[in-house]
Amino acid sequence: MAQKKDFKRVDRYIWELPQDFRDDMRVPVRLFGDAELFDMAFRDRTVEQLTNTATLPGIVKYAMAMPDFHQGYGFPIGGVAAIDAQTGVISPGGVGYDINCGVRLLASHLERGEIEPEVENLTATLYQTCPSGVGGKGRERVSDRELEELVMDGAKWALKRGLARREDVACTEEQGHLAGADPSQLSKRAWERGRDQVGSLGAGNHFLEIDVVSEVYDAKAAEAFGLWQGQVVVQIHCGSRGFGHQVCDDYVKSLQPAVKKYNIQIPDRELVCAPINSPEGQAYYGAMACAVNYAFVNRQVLVMGVREAFERVLAGKVRDFDLFQVYDVAHNIAKFEEHDLDGRRTRLCVHRKGATRAFGPGYAGLPAAYRDVGQPVLVPGSMGTASYVLVGTRKAMDLTFGSTCHGAGRTMSRTQARKSVWGADLRQELEGQGIVIRAGSNKGLAEEAPAAYKDVSQVVEVVHGLGIARRVARLEPMAVIKG
Amino acid sequence: MKRRFQEIEHTADIAIRVWGRDLAELFANAAYGMACQLADPAAVTLSVEHEVELEAYDLETLLVTWLGELLYLGERDGMVFPACQVLEITATTVRAVAQGGPVEEYHGHVKAVTFSNLNVECTDAGCETMIVFDV
Repeated sequence: MAQKKDFKRVDRYIWELPQDFRDDMRVPVRLFGDAELFDMAFRDRTVEQLTNTATLPGIVKYAMAMPDFHQGYGFPIGGVAAIDAQTGVISPGGVGYDINCGVRLLASHLERGEIEPEVENLTATLYQTCPSGVGGKGRERVSDRELEELVMDGAKWALKRGLARREDVACTEEQGHLAGADPSQLSKRAWERGRDQVGSLGAGNHFLEIDVVSEVYDAKAAEAFGLWQGQVVVQIHCGSRGFGHQVCDDYVKSLQPAVKKYNIQIPDRELVCAPINSPEGQAYYGAMACAVNYAFVNRQVLVMGVREAFERVLAGKVRDFDLFQVYDVAHNIAKFEEHDLDGRRTRLCVHRKGATRAFGPGYAGLPAAYRDVGQPVLVPGSMGTASYVLVGTRKAMDLTFGSTCHGAGRTMSRTQARKSVWGADLRQELEGQGIVIRAGSNKGLAEEAPAAYKDVSQVVEVVHGLGIARRVARLEPMAVIKG
Repeated sequence: MKRRFQEIEHTADIAIRVWGRDLAELFANAAYGMACQLADPAAVTLSVEHEVELEAYDLETLLVTWLGELLYLGERDGMVFPACQVLEITATTVRAVAQGGPVEEYHGHVKAVTFSNLNVECTDAGCETMIVFDV
């Protein structure tokens, strides 16, 4: 396994492992981080998993890990791999089980002080209007026919059903709709699991937070995004629920024979893959796109739950309780994008697993208001700590195929977190800081303790310093809801 | 009795090492190890029984399919299945009875069973594997 000495530092924040380190590598490996974060990569299997990723057929430039990297399965978390769409492979293990897990940011017209007296009540109401927990049912139950339309059309379905506003859809990555969804590639079980979880948070690290904008770093971008200091905002972090897990599970299993059929050598079976242009690869993409659209709708339906709670609690008490959508980003996804590759526009299948798209100014797919500044990038911190709103950059297009970090990144295992942190103590500590908490269990709370994560500010410092996203605003939590 | 499973450190997910005198016991112990991640098995009354028959591409895929089946049944009905008897097993097929019951309080969630570093090894001394769960 590679050691620190095998890497060369090519920039203050870039650490490179040459392609000749292992015979099966097709490209070099690049880790992004400061010296301390770089050290952390050697405490778990991040480096080994990233080196494995570098062996995928068709991968171009580098197998990369954003500074919030840590060990995952198949790819490391924070992993980005751009793969030639003509000659390369697509890998369900490079997307993960929670397909299109992502973050949505809503902003209010309210200042902190205006909701402070109601924040307990608001949190309790949000807990009711936004279902959470293991296996939890969602706000909407859909028939098979509706589910088919939902996974084909994504946010457009929600709009048609009156579950979205036109502006919500416009301010969503891909306008909440990934093309190429093919419901005929879904298993019976995926259909079954998809029906009743639309509009649910789930458990694990998923959350809903009421935050306040505590600092603005970039006035121009903040203005374009509609953000200002002291403003109350809401973050939603969740994905495609049991539906997406089932799609990934189905294809990680069904693609196992394809690896042999196409004579692909992979060092870890979770990196299972198939040529993008093969029937197997196409089938996975068609099913994955269904799950991507499902997740966009899931977060959209939760928005309606959040708006409902704000109205119920704040109507008549504040001048304007409405929430508008700033943006929605995916951080577990594979997408076809065109990028400059050695001077030529090339169609690539960019796998981002625990990484966020960070397209810079000028990208035509952005809402008009954001086109001159770049896309909003939403980086939630660990529970009870700060989160960041960043903006995508041109440099990200050059360095990382328009990708950046997605969060703080874990540094401590769940077992270790449970041993060193008591959920009840943590609850008290957070409440002591004035943060309102609603969580399914103290054990779940302990596993998500801030001490189990890297410092999100340090991670953001790296992406900002490197220029693969720029700081726009910092958010501090007022209330946290966890499944 | 030899240890049935042990938790291994993993930065983000849950990893366990599982042992069994033979494949049948390995599969049963893996189911128990997974159930322990979801709820306290002592608090589960074994009131429900499912007979499960599965087929897969190879042994590792069979193990993932087996645990995935229990996860699915559990999530569907709000149950866990800590007690399983494997009646018949080959490298590509398994027939087993899963016993479990409703859960009052979940203490964890498993999204899926992964193939990450999954490699079932059997010797004269017994069978062993590591399993990583996505949580």
